[in-house]
Amino acid sequence: MMSGLSAAGSGYRRILKLQLLALVPVSIAAVINGGYQYLLVLAGDPGRAGDDLRSNLAAGLGASYENPGLYDWLAAGLAHFLPMLLLALVVGGFWERIIAAQRKRAIEPGFVLVALLLTLLLPGSAPFSHIVYGMSFAILLGKGIFGGDGKTFISPALLGVAIVQVSFPSAAGEHPLWQGLAGYAGSDAIALFHRGGETALAEAGIDLWSAFIGSTSGTLGTTSLLAVGLGAALLLVTRIIAWRLLLAQLIGVAVVATLFNFSANAAGAAAMPAYWHLLLGGFAFGAVFIACDPVASCCTNPGRWIQGFLVGALVILIRVTNSTHPDAVIPAMLLASITAPLIDHLVIAWNIRQRARRHV
Amino acid sequence: MPGSLDLETRAVTSAALLGPDYRRVSFELLCKEGDEVKAGAALMRDARRPEINLVAPAAGRVARVERGARRKLLSLQIDVDDTLGAVRHDPPADDERSTLRGFMLESGAWSSLRTRPFGNIPHPEAEPAAIFVTALDAEPFAPEPRRIIDAWFDEFRSAVSALEKISAAPVYLCHAPGHTLALGESDRVRRVAFEGGESAGLPGIHINALCPIGFAGGEVWHLGYQDVIALGHLLLRGTTWQQRVVSISGSAVKNPRCVLVTPGAAIDELLADELIDGPTQMLAGSPAYGRRLAPGQNFLAAGQRQLTVRATSVAEAETAQATGGVVIPDDRLERAAPPGIYPVPLLRALQLGDAERARELGALELVEEDVAALSRACVSNSDYGLLLREVLNQLEAGQ
Repeated sequence: MMSGLSAAGSGYRRILKLQLLALVPVSIAAVINGGYQYLLVLAGDPGRAGDDLRSNLAAGLGASYENPGLYDWLAAGLAHFLPMLLLALVVGGFWERIIAAQRKRAIEPGFVLVALLLTLLLPGSAPFSHIVYGMSFAILLGKGIFGGDGKTFISPALLGVAIVQVSFPSAAGEHPLWQGLAGYAGSDAIALFHRGGETALAEAGIDLWSAFIGSTSGTLGTTSLLAVGLGAALLLVTRIIAWRLLLAQLIGVAVVATLFNFSANAAGAAAMPAYWHLLLGGFAFGAVFIACDPVASCCTNPGRWIQGFLVGALVILIRVTNSTHPDAVIPAMLLASITAPLIDHLVIAWNIRQRARRHV
Repeated sequence: MPGSLDLETRAVTSAALLGPDYRRVSFELLCKEGDEVKAGAALMRDARRPEINLVAPAAGRVARVERGARRKLLSLQIDVDDTLGAVRHDPPADDERSTLRGFMLESGAWSSLRTRPFGNIPHPEAEPAAIFVTALDAEPFAPEPRRIIDAWFDEFRSAVSALEKISAAPVYLCHAPGHTLALGESDRVRRVAFEGGESAGLPGIHINALCPIGFAGGEVWHLGYQDVIALGHLLLRGTTWQQRVVSISGSAVKNPRCVLVTPGAAIDELLADELIDGPTQMLAGSPAYGRRLAPGQNFLAAGQRQLTVRATSVAEAETAQATGGVVIPDDRLERAAPPGIYPVPLLRALQLGDAERARELGALELVEEDVAALSRACVSNSDYGLLLREVLNQLEAGQ
């Protein structure tokens, strides 16, 4: 028996470490921007500070909303980010342990990545009960029943977040970090664009630069295109994610967004140029860390082109035509992820047909 | 020695024919331990296809016939003694297909042909869809085929014209770009230049590009440039070519270079005084496509052109298993995959031992060397060469 090694061989651990390393810039951006957004809201309305653990922790660490500096942002950000991550890790570890005992194998380390991804995809104000709920679904339904690390069929973190989104569609509360969010659906900036175009964005203090470095409101990890880009570069250089899949998503976004731009009555989000789609909301983060999950995406090169284009196209389609779901990244990626085995099946069938036509 | 090639000749006292190099052959011994044999004398033949001879790579005394599980022949070892001379074959009387085939079978040259699919010695009466001559080698630290072919150009030319006549199929001469092979004009000898990375010299790549294997049950044949020279040597001089150019390289080799050595030479003699101290790991072949030598495997394999010896730490002795962990479909696999093959579905089929699926996904186009890079790139630590061979054995048995 080689139970201890089943998926967690040295090669797999190397991939996992690199995936975690690629999330470091995003995590740093998440902490700083989380604190920044929190203190920004408090500066406007000091009465918004709640009496929950995270707010008390931020206050206890001495994060001040008056002339906040890097320390204040870090303290306030960590006060939100760390408890969420720790809770996700504890819940994930708990289920992983039970699964490992049931399956009589060693504990697989993949739940660490799932916990981090889930945390980064949630608002900093997500109730702890929702994190427990989402993480349980992610590990049990997303990973455990499919056989564990390396055998998942959709990205477990994606499933966890989707379940939370569907179950608590109007979860936004009074906490400062719900500010600027459409509940779990993520950034409200696209809805702003829906209503008033770039003027509305400018009024909310969002310009190209702030959206690029990520000083806008949003779910924790998704705001900074810069940080996501750094992580993507690492994953591309180490060949963990398929560049075709990533490029195809960008092409999908560019093509469909441009088509909408040129459509007859381009108004609202239909008039939104492709680069804003990339900058706002969770698309960039999802494209790199969720849709490009090597295990849960297409595993043939033509399939990767098709699936990538599908993701990009679906994100724009839902964003533009369904104003109640302004971010659209989670449902689009869920749909595309489910079609991946079908796409692969068709690609392989075509490949076999080509082979059957040869005469030797 | 002809030509411009100035290589050191390493003399060895022991050489062998290795059983695993000749798949699907039921060896019938034509000699016994203690016999004295001339170079090129038939030592064994295939009991099922008795025309196929396996001949002595050098003159000497048959020292040992080593057998493994189920009395499978592992090696037939010869203590080299050059004074015994060589068998002289009369050159073929005419250019008829049957005469030439008879000459190749008798002299042992036939046994250097390999079929694709499966990598067997072709049947003496079989008709290939094409014959591939591999006249380039893109693997790191490989001997330079251009210089070797130029040094033995007469042999090479006469062998190619003989290969052209043993079947009605085209002979593809796969060479490096810029290598002008000044052979006589013939419409059936087609020169094709291949360039690219380290895989550009693999026969599997050439076959896929020029005459890809499908499901129709046909086969193509291929052989390496040194085997072509050996055939030419037999045609022109009537004796077995008792030399091969082998490159020894790797981080544990003091003086990496090419040497001339008896085919099937004992590796420990070949490497005497060549290695640095400390633990090493040996690869039959290049760092890119070589296979790890099993412990106790001490002779150069048929057609082997390279020996790589790497310095290792003892802790690194992690060996690949037949079945390892899960395949993580990262992008490195796509780079390591042979052309036209979707690596992840194929690797999964190989891991499951699903022969039918593997066949559909192109397993018939491949042999062990084509998936060596995949074994290295995949995190599952599986030896896909072993798994592929199991699947090929199943497919072959089903034909």
